[in-house]
Amino acid sequence: MSYIEVDGLKKTFTVKKKREKGKLLREKQTVEALKGVSFSVEKGELVGYIGPNGAGKSTTVKILSGILTPDGGKANVGGRVPWVDRKEYVKHIGVVFGQRSQLWWDVPIIDSFSLLKDIYKLSSGDYEKRLKELKDALQLEELLRTPLRLLSLGQRMRAELCGSLLHRPELLFLDEPTIGLDAVSKIALRDFLKWENKENGTTIMLTTHDMEDIAALCSRVMVLGHGQKLFDGKLPDLLERFDTVRTVSVKYDGTDISLKVPEGASVSQKDNEFFITYCPKEIPTARLLVALQDAGTISEMTLQPENIDHLIAAMYKELDL
Amino acid sequence: MDTVRLYIRSMGMLLRSHLQYPASFVMQTLAQLVMEAGEMMVVILVVDRFEKLKGWTGGNLFFFFGLMSVSFYITEFFGRGITGDFPSMVRTGKLDTILLRPRGVLTQVLCSGMDPRRITCIAVGTVALIMGSRMSGVEWSALKVLALIESIGMSCLLILGLFMIESIFCIHSVKSVELVNAITYGGRSACQYPIDIYPTPLKVMFTVLAPFALTLHVPAAWILGKPLYGWPIWTVFVTPLSGAAVFFIMTALFHRGMRYYRSTGS
Repeated sequence: MSYIEVDGLKKTFTVKKKREKGKLLREKQTVEALKGVSFSVEKGELVGYIGPNGAGKSTTVKILSGILTPDGGKANVGGRVPWVDRKEYVKHIGVVFGQRSQLWWDVPIIDSFSLLKDIYKLSSGDYEKRLKELKDALQLEELLRTPLRLLSLGQRMRAELCGSLLHRPELLFLDEPTIGLDAVSKIALRDFLKWENKENGTTIMLTTHDMEDIAALCSRVMVLGHGQKLFDGKLPDLLERFDTVRTVSVKYDGTDISLKVPEGASVSQKDNEFFITYCPKEIPTARLLVALQDAGTISEMTLQPENIDHLIAAMYKELDL
Repeated sequence: MDTVRLYIRSMGMLLRSHLQYPASFVMQTLAQLVMEAGEMMVVILVVDRFEKLKGWTGGNLFFFFGLMSVSFYITEFFGRGITGDFPSMVRTGKLDTILLRPRGVLTQVLCSGMDPRRITCIAVGTVALIMGSRMSGVEWSALKVLALIESIGMSCLLILGLFMIESIFCIHSVKSVELVNAITYGGRSACQYPIDIYPTPLKVMFTVLAPFALTLHVPAAWILGKPLYGWPIWTVFVTPLSGAAVFFIMTALFHRGMRYYRSTGS
């Protein structure tokens, strides 16, 4: 049996609509946040969970971290059901929300950590050892005496990570951890997560909109849309399925250019530069090149692979999300 | 014991948080003093105008006022998590954070709020209590002190229980329900006077729904030497327990309500 087993997870919310004119009561609408999602994750895996806003990512995280009770389906994490016996279950997991702080706002972060020690009933020895380990890995030493509210977003995220890992959880959920971080902080955060995963064997599941996170961290990615799982596998496999379009930009010497490209390719022009978008599976690149050369003397040419964000956008579009 | 330790440590932390903004803290504490002193002025004016109110002397009225103030503001001082902050905890998702920790929800809610500015209100209440007892010529005995302490303690639990009604609604509707204030803040305003001055419907309400009559009125009347209808002395110690009963019923309902918690988006 895998470490995390999720089978047919369902969750619906009732939302009250705005009251329509001439009606006494507001109509209720049910929104299916999850329509039977199933997956399993092995211990020590680093899994990315992506999908457009409102796809049900946060709902899944909230159910698996014991905050919400699902309306149907089964889930088992390390032999425990998240929403049964919450107090016992949450001892074994850690959660970081990118948009929500879990530490105390006005006091030095070391005070927050020491209160967490009491909350999780950690022994002094374990706590000191783990704190040392984490503050070295996250470079928190100089920040320990600073109140949380005076930290930058990147520093705060490092403090939050430390806070949620003090009790050595087996499983760590990260809900959009890199949101709003600068490039340096993002890279530092990713390096830390890799380290924690390798060093302590912590299973990590993260939701994100930043494809770089997935590319840098996750061996496996799951795509969620409209409350259903649409893809589960390696990132390169996902990209291959949707990585179909190439763009060529060409500049010519001279101005009198009549470019005739093969059927199926599209051309747009900006000043004296042409952009040709085509699908290599339908139009062989060699054929396109011939057409380009026939049109005039090429002075400059670049061939670009599709941007990863565009790919995901194309995928969401194709899957009608 | 662990829970008590956690609560005390949390309170220390919250106090330090409040003192991070010393000027604002001092100003607000003084504002509370002015507010509560204003409340007491009303009683002083009433006492000045009417020498007696349905058989209760001026001193008696001060005593009732003091008892209510002390109970109410001790509750707000230590129970701010329930009496004030809970709706915003639900709205901002702080409750999610609480649910991620291996401790009781109610414990953590109580650990995450305190209102030390109320200290001045408690001081005003204490002054009124002492004034009332002097003016009424109360002869204190160990039993009377015990009755007073029990009355304050049980009233605190009752007030906490009443505020929890709002919390329970809040879990379902995410928004705070101001209507409930009618029996919390309204209850405080009404029950700082002896309850037998009110018409029957109100008496029933404050005996059955929000039993301030049982937690405050009965012991206070006995301490002031006016036992109710010649009831035996043990009633003075038994009726206030209704405060604890309300608290435990609300605690049970609160935990039931948490099962339907639906969180907010993020």
